[in-house]
Amino acid sequence: MRKKIFVLLALLVVAVVALSACGKQSTPTAAPSSGQQAQPTKAAQPTAAPKPTVAPTPTTAPKPTEAPKEVDCSSPDVFCVGLVTDVGQIDDKSFNQSAWEGVKMAKEKGVADKIDYIETTDAKDYANNIQLFADNGYDVIVTVGFALGQATNEMAKKYPNIKFIGVDQFQGWAINDKKDDDLPNMAGLIFHEDQAGFLAGALAAMITKTNTIAAVLGTDLVPPVVAFKEGYEAGARYINPDIKTISTYHPGGLENAFTDPEWGATTAKQAMDQGADVVFGAGGKTGNGALIEVASAAKSGKQVYCIGVDTDQWLTVPEAHACLVSSAMKLITPGVFDLVQKAKSGDFPSGNYFGETGLAPFHDFDSKIPQEVKDKLKEIRKGLLDGSIDTGYHPGG
Amino acid sequence: MNTPASFANWKIFWKRWGVLTVISVITLALIAYYYSKTPQITEAVLASTLRQSVPLVLGALCGLLGERAAVINIGIEGQMLLAAFLAFLVNVYTGNLLLGVLAGIAVGALLGLLLAFMSVTLKIDQIIGGTVINILAIGLTGYFYKVGLSAHGKLNPIPLGPLAKIPLIGPVFFNNPPITYATILLVFLVHYVLFYTPWGLRTRAVGEHPRAADTLGINVYLVRYVNVVVGGALAGLAGAYLSLEAVGSFERLMTNGRGFVALAVMIFGKWTPLGAWGAALLFGFATAMQTQLQFGGQLHIPHQFIGMLPYLLTIIVLAGFVGRARPPAADGIPYEKEG
Repeated sequence: MRKKIFVLLALLVVAVVALSACGKQSTPTAAPSSGQQAQPTKAAQPTAAPKPTVAPTPTTAPKPTEAPKEVDCSSPDVFCVGLVTDVGQIDDKSFNQSAWEGVKMAKEKGVADKIDYIETTDAKDYANNIQLFADNGYDVIVTVGFALGQATNEMAKKYPNIKFIGVDQFQGWAINDKKDDDLPNMAGLIFHEDQAGFLAGALAAMITKTNTIAAVLGTDLVPPVVAFKEGYEAGARYINPDIKTISTYHPGGLENAFTDPEWGATTAKQAMDQGADVVFGAGGKTGNGALIEVASAAKSGKQVYCIGVDTDQWLTVPEAHACLVSSAMKLITPGVFDLVQKAKSGDFPSGNYFGETGLAPFHDFDSKIPQEVKDKLKEIRKGLLDGSIDTGYHPGG
Repeated sequence: MNTPASFANWKIFWKRWGVLTVISVITLALIAYYYSKTPQITEAVLASTLRQSVPLVLGALCGLLGERAAVINIGIEGQMLLAAFLAFLVNVYTGNLLLGVLAGIAVGALLGLLLAFMSVTLKIDQIIGGTVINILAIGLTGYFYKVGLSAHGKLNPIPLGPLAKIPLIGPVFFNNPPITYATILLVFLVHYVLFYTPWGLRTRAVGEHPRAADTLGINVYLVRYVNVVVGGALAGLAGAYLSLEAVGSFERLMTNGRGFVALAVMIFGKWTPLGAWGAALLFGFATAMQTQLQFGGQLHIPHQFIGMLPYLLTIIVLAGFVGRARPPAADGIPYEKEG
């Protein structure tokens, strides 16, 4: 009897340990992959080298075939850009990849002489990975993702001569008055997700037949997700004040809210079952689960659509082609490129730097979207940019 | 009419099933009430409930088959995850959904075999054996999964002819994809096998008192092996469900702790298939409700609060409402043959 209790307790303890390990993907077993990827020298894939034809010809540029070692980043003439990913891979067809493409663009256009990346495999390594670039004398370090914000700020404080670009990292110090918090070498590339969401909501409201649209979201612990949702609902109401919007956040925390496609799929089904015919999936893989579910309903003849998020998901989730009309995008690639260029030219904008947002192309649905819908979307985009349309989302005041 | 005998029977019936009957009647009344008010939403929530319960009940069946034969399996999470991954991979490379599902089942069974080997033959601590499987699955899937693989479709709902047209019951029970149907059948099948066949009796004997069972000529090791492997196959089916029926894609860590919730479901269901099904439906219902309350928008308490309710309920129920949940007596103890 007593023994049973101990066994159960032990079971619980192990369960808790294993569960938390699952969530963070930080188990020792992740080590084999981290062993391969955590070192920048190893991570330097051949793809990082530019094609010879595109390579610029400044005297300092390395020949593409040369090993990265031969370029000395600590020399003042050599402009090096390093990128640290969030947990995940450089070719994730999402955040990491978009940011890396911005860095690659900098190299192709001759802004950067040497570029490299480190794939983070464990959230505990954020600071270490940034440190590796700093130790090697890199001039600009790009860190990708909300989660790296704190580590990046600490490093920016430690290395005032290196410029830091934090993708999706809101810079709190930039909006308070205390001067000693200022980090002149730190820029957060952030986005008006509410505006992208607004466009998605307007599109949804114009193509819905049932007058009910849904959103399946990651967690409200991440501010951009909230911005997407509020913008989406405001955009829908802008087109049709009586529209019914049903939105729901994932019940979990940061560790699983974006990696639970089953929940996303089931929730999308639940929304469709009660009449929603446009589903906005905004929550990483959780959202992707929703998109695929809607696509399989569309394939079986239901008149339903879905809208993706962050990047053009037509390219990232081919399973969703049957329903994917567009995606509410954050244009990370040009944003990163602009900031790298500004870092080199000396007018680095510290604080919060807003990148552009917009809707992805309609792809196969291009012919099915009426011209007046496209015109209306253009008009709204203009209104959002010049400030004549307000999304109504103003966090913190 | 009320002869003392039938009265006594009634009393026994009440003592055994009273609480359950009351709960069922209340539940059905509530469903009927909401159905009369908002039929579409009621159907949507109940369909979602059933769907969310599938991996939980399959996992719980896996757990209870093992534990009824005294092998604790906390590797369900890992079995599901690896099975989900291989089911997905087979589907990606062959384009065949059925082969994918079979691969998932096979992987689950193989991991079951591994667990049985560790805990029955090697007599390793069963908790450690299960943990090994969990870590193995996370590592393997994390390492081998590549972004950019896409599955060829997913298992779609098959409406069962006129049955699917019945209001409320039709859309909820008779318009489901194949693994969901299979799961409902499996619940009753496992219940039947466990309580109405010689094999079930042997299983329970091995779980309660292996020495006695051994004395009567039952091969304790064989019973344990078979139960753990069959259980593994069920967990594998749950994995295939996740990647090929529920989502149609694979994602690292996509099981998200469902294998552990399945253990809670098993305990909540007092190590019986029907009880586990009821518990799984309750968990599924809580998740569906959590979504629905957000859809409705009238929610003024944090939605995480509703998500907490099934766990809270488990504690309350286990703490005395339905009575003590008693695991099989020999649960978790390796059997050492004398001689």
